[in-house]
Amino acid sequence: MSLRLLSVDPSDRGSQRCRLGPGLMSALGLGLGSPLLVSVPGGSCLCTAWPRPDLAEGFLQMDLKCSSPGVVSHPPTHLNLDPDQLTPVPCPKLKGVKITVVVQGVDFKKLTPPGLVHELVKDMLKGVHVHEKHVINLENFDTEIRYVVIESINPDSASAGFITSKTCVEIVGIQTLRHYRSQLQHQQIVPLGGLEEVSASLREMLQLPLLYPGALRSLGVSCPRGVLLVGPPGVGKTLLVRRVVGEVGASLVVVRGPEVVGSRPGESEEKLRAVFERARSAAEEGPCVLFLDELDSLCPRRSGSSAPENRLVAQLLTLMDGMKRSDSFLIVGATNRPDSLDPALRRPGRFDREVIIGAPTLRQRTAILSVLCARMPVCPSVDMAELAQRTTGYVGADLSALCREAAMHAIRGSSKGSGEQTVGVKHFHEALKAVRPSCLRSSLGRTELSPTSWEQIGGLDEVKLKLRQSIEWPMLYPEAFVRLGLCRPRGVLLYGPPGCAKTTLVKAAASTSHCAFLSVGGADLYSPYVGDSEKALAQLFRQARACAPCILFLDEIDSLIGSRSNSQTPNSVQTRLLSVLLNEMDGVGLKTLERRGTEKILQAEVAEENRTQEQSDYQEVCNNNVMVVAATNRPDCLDSALLRPGRLDHIIYVPPPDQQARLCILKMCTKSMPVGADVCLEELAAKTELYSGADLENLCKEAALLALQEENMAASTIRHTYFLRSLGTMSPSLTAQQIQAYQKHPR
Amino acid sequence: MSKPALMSLHQALRKSFQTLEGNQKVWKSVLADCSPLMGSLGNLAEQSRALSNVQISNTPLRDFPDLEERLRFKLSQATDTVLGKLNEKTSSLQSVRDSISNQVSAVFQLYEQNTDSLDLLAVTERSATAPSVSDMLEWLQDAERHYRQQFLRRKTLLLTLRADDLSLLESAPKRWKSLECPGAEDHITDTLCKVSFFTESQ
Amino acid sequence: MEGDITVTQANRKCSAVTGSTRKIKDNAADWHNLMVRWEKLNEDGFNVAGNLVNIRLTRSQSDQLVVVDESSSPSSAPSQQTGGAAELQDECCKLQDVIDRMVVVVKKMERLTASQQGFQDLEEFQFGLEGRKCPLFHSWNTKHFNESSCVLLDSFSQELKLKQTILQELAHTATSDLCMVYLSCWLHQPFITAQTRLTLEALLLETGHHPL
Repeated sequence: MSLRLLSVDPSDRGSQRCRLGPGLMSALGLGLGSPLLVSVPGGSCLCTAWPRPDLAEGFLQMDLKCSSPGVVSHPPTHLNLDPDQLTPVPCPKLKGVKITVVVQGVDFKKLTPPGLVHELVKDMLKGVHVHEKHVINLENFDTEIRYVVIESINPDSASAGFITSKTCVEIVGIQTLRHYRSQLQHQQIVPLGGLEEVSASLREMLQLPLLYPGALRSLGVSCPRGVLLVGPPGVGKTLLVRRVVGEVGASLVVVRGPEVVGSRPGESEEKLRAVFERARSAAEEGPCVLFLDELDSLCPRRSGSSAPENRLVAQLLTLMDGMKRSDSFLIVGATNRPDSLDPALRRPGRFDREVIIGAPTLRQRTAILSVLCARMPVCPSVDMAELAQRTTGYVGADLSALCREAAMHAIRGSSKGSGEQTVGVKHFHEALKAVRPSCLRSSLGRTELSPTSWEQIGGLDEVKLKLRQSIEWPMLYPEAFVRLGLCRPRGVLLYGPPGCAKTTLVKAAASTSHCAFLSVGGADLYSPYVGDSEKALAQLFRQARACAPCILFLDEIDSLIGSRSNSQTPNSVQTRLLSVLLNEMDGVGLKTLERRGTEKILQAEVAEENRTQEQSDYQEVCNNNVMVVAATNRPDCLDSALLRPGRLDHIIYVPPPDQQARLCILKMCTKSMPVGADVCLEELAAKTELYSGADLENLCKEAALLALQEENMAASTIRHTYFLRSLGTMSPSLTAQQIQAYQKHPR
Repeated sequence: MSKPALMSLHQALRKSFQTLEGNQKVWKSVLADCSPLMGSLGNLAEQSRALSNVQISNTPLRDFPDLEERLRFKLSQATDTVLGKLNEKTSSLQSVRDSISNQVSAVFQLYEQNTDSLDLLAVTERSATAPSVSDMLEWLQDAERHYRQQFLRRKTLLLTLRADDLSLLESAPKRWKSLECPGAEDHITDTLCKVSFFTESQ
Repeated sequence: MEGDITVTQANRKCSAVTGSTRKIKDNAADWHNLMVRWEKLNEDGFNVAGNLVNIRLTRSQSDQLVVVDESSSPSSAPSQQTGGAAELQDECCKLQDVIDRMVVVVKKMERLTASQQGFQDLEEFQFGLEGRKCPLFHSWNTKHFNESSCVLLDSFSQELKLKQTILQELAHTATSDLCMVYLSCWLHQPFITAQTRLTLEALLLETGHHPL
């Protein structure tokens, strides 16, 4: 026989009664008001047994006046209980009890004399059956005193007891409700992958002043009180703070920038002051972190005019300076646009430390993925390292979106009836298509790349090999490069007559090496505003670096960037773009903001580690730059500075197809066409000297159209004559003279 | 079923309900005395508020030396007097509560001493003349809880008043009024009606 | 408490209840009676002033088309501007009447104080600057009585001045806060302190009206 748990009768609220059938009471040997311990999932509850007014069996209603903390935060509902979850417990009269009092507000805690609290609590607890470590709910008294936590009871031979007017009540502490709730919540900590170092440093700053206040005082140092977290959106700044705060057991006061800003003059400052006051009072109860999320919206760079933001910034500065040494709370700011912060905020004494969290590296991604997948039924065949490799440029939020998407795919799959419950590799691959890295969103170079394989390009074997050498190999076998002391090429220039598959070649290279691919043409960069184009190009490089390894493809580079020698106006946009490009390609270093992970130094001892580990290490260290691939059909227009080694150091000529190559191309083009048996592609290849790849494709198209024209839409095959006739109407786009000029070019 | 145990328990219950009835009357009368006091408390707070809002030096009263100080002193003296009276009332409330509490716990003790001879069937048996022992004990407990809760709320309200917090004082009469719980009070009256036949049966 | 003079154990010590002793004792009784009368007048005046404020505030409220609190001014139901004004005038007159009577009380107090001064002068004339050797009653000398009278007179004349000011301003004040301050000034009488009452009590004890 099981008992249905019903919600408590309103008239019984606060009575600590547990209503059950008289039969069950007799069976358990309970009298009226006998103490009874009910265990429910998540904890237990101490009640006094009373028969139901209607004397019905099979139901249980209990008032949760005295229950374990877990039950307080998640009261049980819709449960069926087994009778052996009810145990009568002896409740002797207690001599003494030690309690922590939880009160509603800070004011009450501060202003009420302790004697008064003691008197009230003692009155409230009289006649209550209590259990060790349980929480007594006093809400129905409607006072500021909300809960009482029973810390220990005397005599401690029993785990429960009854409080009489003679019981000595000792208050060991008074907490506010907010603090108590946050303590309860911290018991479930969110897992966090890949941010160990940052979280360790944050934790240290929080814990040091708590653990060794004496040592710090004797050294005469004041602890750092402000930390600025800098990083792109979605790397987990907010989560990190919550997590560390939870671990240390500190309370957290969160301010999101826009929440503070009010419309009335002075309102924002007032709110900000109130927030600091809240943090200060919370800090009196234990460590506290004041978290200013989206700090850039709160404190933009002060401008000359008397904008309201200026006053807010000034207020924040004053408040931070006005923090006394005794105010033991830490201010953590988070922003993804540190440059737009007011510089006065970033000096020591305010935000003493700046912690930069970059886009996660390969290792960090692996860690994040394994944390994310730990709670998902992932098929064992899924290789986290491989997945991490394919998710360059993904930040934590992207990865979690990816996992969610993969899980959704799996659910869709299983609902269709395939019955499998695990998330497999194919689901992740599906998800990869849907979820793109957020640092590339809104980037101008972001392109949808339809996967292209090398085989889809006819001929050009030599060029393909060269491209593989300079793009694919360094990505895939970095350790071999390091072993031979080889530097990866910085850039590749493809040049050659138009229509000879330069762009397609780059696409194929990008899709086989699984790295991020950004492509820009001239139109993307041009802007009527002075300096805008340069900024856009620099931004492009920044984004490319954020998700390195990455291929940055500059198509038609001659139109984008001129040459300094032959341009008429020395200060044109093109020249300025050129200088930006030169700088970005071999500038002195990265901006600090773009740092990723911690610097790792290759060590000789890694040899004994396993092979894959080593490889990923190599990849992480060596594979962090951006490969610039440029294409042009007017190499003579390029500035010579761009072509020297260290910049576009691999210069590959993509020649017009020779006869062999033309045959391959024709075969590729006609693969999907119903070609007549009489068609001799070899003959066509021989006849199409000076035809480019694009020309050949066009030729096939023309022939097919001609077939349709001649045979009135009913054509089923394309006969050889059509090819020949369309060949007669076409002329090659290349000239021998042109080709000679190209061949002459390499210097 | 042991008759004598039940009889003595019934006797004790009767006595308890009689005490409860008497105490309910006392409680009501004390509360009635309190409300004008609370009213004047709020009124005094209002006067203090007005005094704070007015800049005496800008009014025709500016010629009187330290008028504000004197008036403030007078007001706080008056407040003290009212609070003293309220305190006296609180102790009468406390004695009502204590008397009910003692009575109820005495009945409970009697029941607990006789648990062996009173099985559940006996205590849950209802008759035309008398409600079951279980019901009556429950009602007594409910009443006791009500008075305890009421007393604590009112006491907390009075004890948390501070002379320097005018808004607290101003809102006191309203909050005092809101503590009234006519439902529960009626419930006790109902209970007394339900047991009236039983109480008078002796 | 009545001001009847009865010969009690306490004042039998003085050989005869005549002359200055007799006069001072009578004065003490008068002080007591005057203060009782003052309290009565104060109470009456407070009721009138309360009405006055209610009418005044109701008027200024109805000027602003705010709901009139009927209960606070039971007789102002017509709420006609002129009617209100007449009523206001009426109440003002009543208050003036109260104050007039208060003025009379204070005049009498002045006379008492003057006569007290007279006793002192007489004594100085009779016994020289050191005053009389044996106290008239228990311990006070004549100077003491004179000082007490001055303290009492001071308090009441200040209070009277305050009340006169209030009378002049009350009908012209529209801000409820200031009205409230006037009313509470009237009610609590800031210049009549606990010290004032103690002085009177001491006077009565000394002269034997109240048994020691």
